[in-house]
Amino acid sequence: MSDTMVRMGELAASKAAGASLVTLGLGSCIGLVLLDRRVGVAGLAHIVLPDSTGHDEVNPLKFADRAVPELLRRVVALGARKPLVEAVLVGGASMFAGIGGSMEVGARNEAAVLAALGGLRVRVNAAATGGSRGRTVRVDPGRGIVLVREAGGKDRQLHPPVAPAA
Amino acid sequence: MSTLYNDLQLDALRELANIGAGNASTALSGMLGRPVDLTVPHARVIPMSEAVEALGAPEAEVTGIALGVHGDMPSTVLMLLSPVDAETLCALLGLEPGSEYAESALGEIGNVVGTSYLNALAGMTGIALEPTPPATATDMLGSLVQAVLATRAALSDEALLLDSCMTVEGEGCSIIFLLAPDHGGAGQLLGRLGVS
Repeated sequence: MSDTMVRMGELAASKAAGASLVTLGLGSCIGLVLLDRRVGVAGLAHIVLPDSTGHDEVNPLKFADRAVPELLRRVVALGARKPLVEAVLVGGASMFAGIGGSMEVGARNEAAVLAALGGLRVRVNAAATGGSRGRTVRVDPGRGIVLVREAGGKDRQLHPPVAPAA
Repeated sequence: MSTLYNDLQLDALRELANIGAGNASTALSGMLGRPVDLTVPHARVIPMSEAVEALGAPEAEVTGIALGVHGDMPSTVLMLLSPVDAETLCALLGLEPGSEYAESALGEIGNVVGTSYLNALAGMTGIALEPTPPATATDMLGSLVQAVLATRAALSDEALLLDSCMTVEGEGCSIIFLLAPDHGGAGQLLGRLGVS
């Protein structure tokens, strides 16, 4: 099966083994993964901005405050058990220091996602956030593995944790 | 969402982009001492979710030079080139690739090219455009483009992109020049042209 691309302001949930949910090249945006590894369900949201207040005209799922509850609803609808849902955050970087406040956007996105998860009592199990590098995130719902890659690098398993090589 | 700009307005923006990019390529040519070719520019309104793919492969490693623009048309200018082409440009300026001066030299190229583009627009329409100092980063295309688009995503699901490609003759070295006005930011510019 082919992978599902989750682009700016989109979200997707799946329990299809072997077909990953993928976001390529996150910058200041946050890729939020919610998963219940034991039942093989995962979701991925590509969050662009922190707060939807006053922005009723546009796609609400680009905002952290609207995307986080919707993503949780979607994974639970596929069988994830809410108390066992784990969260993984990727992105929120500052790509161009000092231009258009993009640093602030990345940090504000991360804070807003954490606040929304806290309000829903969802635990954050791993994060690759901040800094100045772009990241690609992929999650395979069947295996419950979250991979992260930076420009020019290789996929690295972010969740579940791997023991360091001896 | 309705379309942000009609065909007549996009034609006018395309013509402006052509003149701006013409001025910018002349400045680049003067800096490098080489002829610079220019493609016909695009002026397009596309969903933000499709903007990255419209410019290239999301994970392709590119060097980006960004300038913020203040004034009557708040925007971002983003110049994108492959890391190999960035080295070629530095070499044409007599700098060792990867040297500590390379990044500031690229920033300076971006500054001269971007300012020339904006000056042409401002001169033609009488609007005020004030560029900020350049910032340079080498990373995934998607990360750089989305970081620029994210700051204006609150007001629209679509982005207006004016893009041109400049190629340094004989070097096969090309720069994508992108001007992304804020939502509705081109309104005043179009007003001056009488196509608002």
